[in-house]
Amino acid sequence: MNKALIIAKREYRAAVRTKGFILALILLPLFMGGGLLVFTLFKDKVDLDDKRIAVIDHSGLFEDYLASAVENRNRNEIFNEKGEQIAPAIFFEFIRPDSSEMNQQKLDLSDRVRKKELHAFIQIGSDIIHPQPGGAQSGIFYFAENAALDNNRSWFSNIINNRIREIRILELGVDQDKVTDLFYWINVEGLGLLNIDTKTGAIIDARKSSELQTILVPYVLLLLMFMMLMMSAIPLLTAVMEEKTERIAEVLLGSVTPEQFMIGKIIGSLGVSLTTSAIYVAGAVFTLSRMNLNELIPYHVIHWFFIYMVLNIIMIGSIMAALGATCNDSKDAQAMQFPAMLPIIIPLFLMMPVILNPLGKMATGCSLFPLWTPMLMLLRQSTSVTIPLWQPIVGLIGVILFTVFCVWAGARIFRSTIILQGKRPKFGTLIRYIAKG
Amino acid sequence: MSVIELDHITKSYGNHIAVDDLSLQVPKGSIYGFIGPNGSGKTTTIRMIMNILYPDNGLIRIFGREHIGSHLDSIGYLPEERGLYRKMKVKELVSFYGELKNVPKPAREADFWLEKFDLTKWAGKKAETLSKGMSQKLQFIIAIINRPDIIILDEPFSGLDPVNAEIIKEVILDLRQQGATVLFSTHDMAVAEKMCDFIFMIYKGRKILDGTLESIQKKYGQDTILIHSEGGVSVLDGIPGIEKINDFGLMQEIRMNNKADNQQILAAIMARTRVMKFEIASPSLNDIFIRIARPEKTENNEQSSYNSQT
Repeated sequence: MNKALIIAKREYRAAVRTKGFILALILLPLFMGGGLLVFTLFKDKVDLDDKRIAVIDHSGLFEDYLASAVENRNRNEIFNEKGEQIAPAIFFEFIRPDSSEMNQQKLDLSDRVRKKELHAFIQIGSDIIHPQPGGAQSGIFYFAENAALDNNRSWFSNIINNRIREIRILELGVDQDKVTDLFYWINVEGLGLLNIDTKTGAIIDARKSSELQTILVPYVLLLLMFMMLMMSAIPLLTAVMEEKTERIAEVLLGSVTPEQFMIGKIIGSLGVSLTTSAIYVAGAVFTLSRMNLNELIPYHVIHWFFIYMVLNIIMIGSIMAALGATCNDSKDAQAMQFPAMLPIIIPLFLMMPVILNPLGKMATGCSLFPLWTPMLMLLRQSTSVTIPLWQPIVGLIGVILFTVFCVWAGARIFRSTIILQGKRPKFGTLIRYIAKG
Repeated sequence: MSVIELDHITKSYGNHIAVDDLSLQVPKGSIYGFIGPNGSGKTTTIRMIMNILYPDNGLIRIFGREHIGSHLDSIGYLPEERGLYRKMKVKELVSFYGELKNVPKPAREADFWLEKFDLTKWAGKKAETLSKGMSQKLQFIIAIINRPDIIILDEPFSGLDPVNAEIIKEVILDLRQQGATVLFSTHDMAVAEKMCDFIFMIYKGRKILDGTLESIQKKYGQDTILIHSEGGVSVLDGIPGIEKINDFGLMQEIRMNNKADNQQILAAIMARTRVMKFEIASPSLNDIFIRIARPEKTENNEQSSYNSQT
């Protein structure tokens, strides 16, 4: 073990002393936070240009209402409290329907949209108050170049439906005064759970839960874990391949056993990851505390993060080192790298479904698969829901057992292939190496 | 006492038998030379002794015990193909291997050896800045940094200029003087003849020769004539009893056939030219090597030839 530690020390020093390491240390959070930053910076940067929209109202019921609604919008709804414009002003252009040349009329309007004279045009059917299923005049149609993602369509949909319901209710003989109340919408506000202050014993009121908080914490932890794997475990494949092809491996094997060699390299990589992640976690905790955003710090999962990360790097690292030992050149390593990385990429694809439904069967099942447990169980634990205690424990036991197996099997492959030159061994041969030792 | 024992070891790669039922005993304090043509199994045998490869059959014992990697600190190993961490500084590199070999004060030992090999001024430079010769010396230092009891060197003199080869030879002899056992492979027959107490030849994975130079030469008898004459190689043409002539220009090495009489050959040459030197000798190791490893010969012919000599 002592020799493995000497190799680990060399690996660690060789990694952290490089400019590349410092650069990665700086670039990693930028890369990781880049997506969120761009989203935050640009989420309010909407198109504020005035929008002219033509309306063909076949029912003849909405012109006055829409004119008044759009005037109200342009006056009251497109500015924030500071008086800054946050949405575009809309101007309606009411067009008399031409029932005989309906398609020609729509084609003309489409051309005007293409020429940017109009932003969109809307067709309101004549039977819209009492629509018939499948009726040609029973729908409202919004024609635009990007209709599916157009926010103005949603706004229009809301106001026109309010008016349609209003008309329907008035037809039932309900007072006009009461109709306003009928449409007063109340949002259901999302709150976390109440807690007890462990120092004072007082009840701490529930905090308003935000989408940012719900997604940000699991997102950052998962990406940090992924980045640590990318930074230390994955490169072991090429590092071992290089040491093999540059004949360093054989010189080392004059002094250490293949197992000490492999474990030393993994411990060295682990050291690099622990250093990097400790810097990031400490930096994040310090910064968020100073910004009085303590609720964003997931104290309850930080220790789990480090436990899972250590196991994950040993597990994936031993697989990568063993595969690296089977490669004879960089071409072999490239061919091997993507399939070897798949198991750690898949949890990234599962990130959103797991965050949205952390207690679902899919999230629970996948998080108990040892290769994915470190990432997916951590992801589930870092969401705001409470995961049954047995699940992280069972997951952890599974990961520990699988890690032990990976190191054992990896060492057998490593030992058998680190000197061999020539054709890369096939999968069946690797299995034979594991079985035979 | 044998410090290295190979007991009927065999190693195959697929259908190819690299080492075939090989047995060997290396006495303590000796210098044992491994010779054999390329691809004969020398490196595979050395790697098995180093526990880097594992024999399919047979046993390897180091200091009388089965080798399971526990003896690594007592063995110095220089592989045939050298590799260094190119970005590491020279002294750091030597100290690193010293640490791995459990050398008590690796930095001090590194200073000693770098000084001895005239590499002190390169101590702070990266390994990638060294010339090929200097890298070879550095590799050698790494192999012997722990002053091991057993030194295994795969082609230690390959690629070295005479000055550096001499330095390495002196250190090998010095370490042997201090009690180390040395096993090295070489293609330089002159070095093997001059340095080795025992010579071991492997050919197509099988042991062909094993013993002292004298005992090996004795098996081949005195079938060689060294001659220096005014007529040179041209006068030797057609003389009965000459099987092969190795021409060195000024001198010729003649191999006689089994039934030849050296006096008759001398008389035949003297009848043609003036003879300055005529020496009856045993075949050189180089000659023995070529006789065995000549490409046109089959392994069976070799065996029968060797057996007929014995």
